[in-house]
Amino acid sequence: MARIEEIALPRERQATAWWRFNATALLFLGPAMALVLVFFIAPVVITFVMSFTDLATSTGLSNWQWIGPENYQRMFRSQFWLTILGNTFVYVAVVLAFNVIVGLGIALLSVHVEAKAGGLFRSLWLLPRISPSVVYALMWTWAAASPPFGMINYVVEPFGVEPRYWIQSDPWLIVILINGFVGASFGMLIFTSAIKAIPEDLFRAAQVDGASALHVIRRITLPLIKWPILFVLVYQTMSLFASYEYIYLTTNGGPGLYATETWSLWAFHTALSNYYGNLDFAYGAAMAAILVLMGLGISVVMLRLFRFGQLVAEPRVEV
Amino acid sequence: MSKHTFAGREAGGYRLSRRQFLITTGAAIAAAACSTQVGQQSPSGAAVPAGTVNLSAWTIGPDAPSYYRRDNLVSAADLLNKKLGGQTQVHVDATFESGGQWGDYLQKFTLAAEAKTSPDIILAGHENLAPWVGPSYVIPLDDLIKKFQSEGGLKDVIPTLWDAMKLKGKTYGVPQDTEARPMYYRKDLLAKMGWSKDKIDGLPDAVKKGDFAWPDLVATAKEAISKGIVGPGMGWYSRTSKGADIYMFYYQNGGVMQDDATGKLVVVKDALQKHYQVHADAVRNDKIMTQAIYGMDGKIFDQTVMDGKVLFFNAGTWKWKDWQTTYKIVDQVLWDNVGFMLIPAAQKGGKPVTVSHPLAYAVTSNAKYPELAFRLIANATTPELNSKHSVTSAHLAILSTQKDDPTYKQDKFLLATQYMLDYTRFIPNHAKFGIYDDVLYRFLGAVEQGQVTPAQAVDSAVKEIQSQVGDEIIVK
Repeated sequence: MARIEEIALPRERQATAWWRFNATALLFLGPAMALVLVFFIAPVVITFVMSFTDLATSTGLSNWQWIGPENYQRMFRSQFWLTILGNTFVYVAVVLAFNVIVGLGIALLSVHVEAKAGGLFRSLWLLPRISPSVVYALMWTWAAASPPFGMINYVVEPFGVEPRYWIQSDPWLIVILINGFVGASFGMLIFTSAIKAIPEDLFRAAQVDGASALHVIRRITLPLIKWPILFVLVYQTMSLFASYEYIYLTTNGGPGLYATETWSLWAFHTALSNYYGNLDFAYGAAMAAILVLMGLGISVVMLRLFRFGQLVAEPRVEV
Repeated sequence: MSKHTFAGREAGGYRLSRRQFLITTGAAIAAAACSTQVGQQSPSGAAVPAGTVNLSAWTIGPDAPSYYRRDNLVSAADLLNKKLGGQTQVHVDATFESGGQWGDYLQKFTLAAEAKTSPDIILAGHENLAPWVGPSYVIPLDDLIKKFQSEGGLKDVIPTLWDAMKLKGKTYGVPQDTEARPMYYRKDLLAKMGWSKDKIDGLPDAVKKGDFAWPDLVATAKEAISKGIVGPGMGWYSRTSKGADIYMFYYQNGGVMQDDATGKLVVVKDALQKHYQVHADAVRNDKIMTQAIYGMDGKIFDQTVMDGKVLFFNAGTWKWKDWQTTYKIVDQVLWDNVGFMLIPAAQKGGKPVTVSHPLAYAVTSNAKYPELAFRLIANATTPELNSKHSVTSAHLAILSTQKDDPTYKQDKFLLATQYMLDYTRFIPNHAKFGIYDDVLYRFLGAVEQGQVTPAQAVDSAVKEIQSQVGDEIIVK
């Protein structure tokens, strides 16, 4: 009986063989790996390293010192870290729900009307996304301005709603709407293309069988766009965790005691935005480091929950 | 040669091992880091070179009429060039930011300073210099002040303004301007309430003497609302955003912000509670101030007060010119309808108060010729140039000689408000003041919004400041 024996190569030749075998793959992957290293891995490493120093405006790059975990201790000594953490989860959850539900609703509605009208409707929903962030936020601040100004006040007053400074009286409403109207367009685009990719035969067959519109959506459309929905959920969750620009430009985390301050905005305020110029880079880096850990944790949970392995697995049947 | 080699990495017959590669790379990074450290050293500061010297400067309003902060440096170059006698010619490239935010301007400078691209001269608030001293973004000026004491109008700078430029005994800035933050009032509305002209015009004096105190202001505002002269919540408008004005009510109630002996920040709990109570009462109990004041758009504030809808309102002296420039209010209309006074004392017979925020020109460590940069600033500090700035932007005199300057003497608003500097206080020069301020301001908002009571706010604010600045705070 023939016996296959392992061929023992000298260590040097093993390494040479390994390089020869993998050289092409490394050549092709190299640029992307370098980009990931420089723009993703290195900033995270620098953030973590910086978080163990006292780097601030008052030290500059020349006088900083290692201070161990003091920044983390200081962060959790603050009375407000739990409030800010809670705000972050509320913000992500509610805006995410708004984005997905409204995005899906617009996609379903616009593909079921005449093509031109549907296209126009979707274009209108894209306006917030294509407007520059600052202009878009500024329009909201004007619309929600304090009485006797503010377009919202003009619109709601005839219905008996007392004019108010909406940004201050209902800050979460403004934060959710301003982010939601931008975010919904992302889901809308993905869902529309996914729905349009469903073979027409399935809808015709369902109609022949007498299925109602709701049945068609429930039994055909939604199951077939499951993966795009999951993609939008995961992607938007991560985006929302790191985003703060519209909150910064409207409520700025207030009013008062961190009412709408999210974790990323807290890090930004601490590291890069202080009225008197006292920027606390290292302390802000510690906050950002916690955000990175939160993001990693949530990514792992979501990828497992939504069985990412199945999403990227090779199909069982050839298509 | 090591057995573990990288195939295809030969250069000139030499094969670099993994270990050698790591060691070499590590050493290169360490060397680069060390060279960065060495690069932080202050410039040698060559005195006066021959030829043309370009000096750069950044200035800011943010109020539009303060452009002489830039223009005076440009004008000073002519004066300096005459003194330099032709061998050296100074050319100034100065910028002026109008309508922006202080925080963005300061952040831009901080990042530029680290990148070694900051200008030679920076204009900033006196308290902004404190965090810049540690990393040497700005240089001490004491030796230069001594050497060029007769240059420009340096010797005539009002002494208390020099005090505001000092940190740990060293001077880091030259005063550029100062102001006061009055309590403005509408004369036309008081007249509608039945006040006589003499009583209206005598209000600033009554405040100065302590005859018209804070409770009187509140009572007047309440009366105006009850009579329908102004709408609900429009008896008094305070500042709408962060700024030094906020602390007028802390000082009014006996507050102290910095310990003279140690330089540490100070919070006086009793004064802080009274400061919060003033705002809580105004918004929630007496309802003389709208709850929407916190974070209100500055343009809405200005438009509302200029429309004559608010009885009392806080703003800096510079707003007098800004209202004319931006809101096209004619000077005489302002004089006819708007008056100004100190912030009334907390109780009758007490001392009224205001807050000033002197701005300063500082020489940065990036300046190649710090002596020339300083001399340029000194030559921009003259009665003529400072008075031009004062009358254009409604900022007060920083030189004792300005009161005799023909331009300054013609401006009755400046003359009428100059006395306020006798009652003024400053915010502290401390590297962690921004953190202290952030906590106190957020709790002020919370009190106005009814999220916490003044007593709760004081306890929580003190704890929060202690947790954030450690032993840099003294609680009294």
